Amino acid sequence: MTPKKELQFAYGLIIILFLVGVVSYAGFPAKTPDQPIRIMYKGVAGKVLFDHKTHASEAGYGLSCSDCHHHPEDEDSSLRACGDCHQAPAEGQEFPESCTECHEPDEIEDTEIIKNTDAFHSQCEECHQDSGAGPEENRCSWCHVL
Amino acid sequence: MLNQKKFIVSHAPFWHDGSTVTARSYNMIIAALPAVLFGFISYGMPAVGVVSLSVSSAIVWELLFNKISKRTISIGDGNAALIGILFGMLLPATSPWWLVITGTFVAVVIGKQIFGGIGGNPFNPVLIGLAILMVSWKDFFDFNEALVNYDLGFAMVYPLSALKHLGTSGIDAFNTADLLMGQQSGGIGATFGLGLIIGGIYLIIRGFIRWEISVSFLAGVVITALLFNLVNSAQWAGPVFHLLTGYTLIGAFFLATEDSSSPVNFIPMLIYGAGAGIMTVLIRNTGAHIDGVVFAILLMNLVNPLLDRIRPKALGKVV
Repeated sequence: MTPKKELQFAYGLIIILFLVGVVSYAGFPAKTPDQPIRIMYKGVAGKVLFDHKTHASEAGYGLSCSDCHHHPEDEDSSLRACGDCHQAPAEGQEFPESCTECHEPDEIEDTEIIKNTDAFHSQCEECHQDSGAGPEENRCSWCHVL
Repeated sequence: MLNQKKFIVSHAPFWHDGSTVTARSYNMIIAALPAVLFGFISYGMPAVGVVSLSVSSAIVWELLFNKISKRTISIGDGNAALIGILFGMLLPATSPWWLVITGTFVAVVIGKQIFGGIGGNPFNPVLIGLAILMVSWKDFFDFNEALVNYDLGFAMVYPLSALKHLGTSGIDAFNTADLLMGQQSGGIGATFGLGLIIGGIYLIIRGFIRWEISVSFLAGVVITALLFNLVNSAQWAGPVFHLLTGYTLIGAFFLATEDSSSPVNFIPMLIYGAGAGIMTVLIRNTGAHIDGVVFAILLMNLVNPLLDRIRPKALGKVV
């Protein structure tokens, strides 16, 4: 190739690949599946990778949704992310918004909602210990990645 | 003294052997394509977007810097495109566009152009870009977190982080053949071991990279990993696992061999490659980082000028 052709080729690369890049980013954004596959929980004690699919699928541990998604109790359709309720209320509010969607404030004023990380910790630990899958004592790093 | 004859060169005409920097750059890109295409098939259009944007933005940064610094337009040599594609290969498929563009800016402008362009860079530009990004936005380079929505039908946990946190009991799910065939999560173009090896062998046969560096790098990884594994096989993985995971293969064939940041003589090349391989496993096994390839090669880039001082003695009288 002559230097001129090399330069033209480089300009061509810029234009074509830039267009392909823009189209890919704009037209095919990374998909978020309806049911999570894996979830990365983050807290002060580091990150915890939770394999939602393996826990929920029949081929995996075959847990039912309500084993973890405990509220509301009856409707599968109202399964929601744990963090919707287990969160600190917005400034000036007593409860997280998701609570007041269904409940009157005086109806739930005595209810204590534990923090997201505490909820996960007790939930994971309890089930893991029951099924003998637990982390051994002092082996926090089996789940927590700092 | 002024008339001292240093070189005696015969008369013109001379015969150029036809090799050019451009041919070298595009051959390296071609050698990288099997691994890149595998990444496209695995991760789909988001991966295409990352690599395309990476290549085009790398060339644009070089073009802009050429214009600003009023130097000859050098994008024709394909080196910027090569930096772009290698950088894209190391990223997770979910990298946001601004991360890609910032990374190629750091790689091309700070890693290469401010040192005077091709041949002047003391460090591998791709790794400079990646290292600065990894330190600045480390969550984007946590493959477990970045690829959380992908289910490709194999254990999607990043092999090296499973090893780091669980020891060898965490890597039972991986077997050698699967790892070689790219059945592992990681950078877009860094997981398909077989493709990278084929690309590397092609480059070695064509003489575009030096086998001494690649082979000594891999040997450094193997020997160090084997020693660790012999001491405690419950905690430290064996050499084959280290060879086929993380950035090891792309590092050995495409990153450590970058010419201006690696030595030119035989013994220095062996020391350079082996040093990077040893450091890779040391960082993985005892360091804070999950993968050590990036910092290991940058560290050996730093040692490179010293290694270049190991050279043959000049024949005859030396003044």
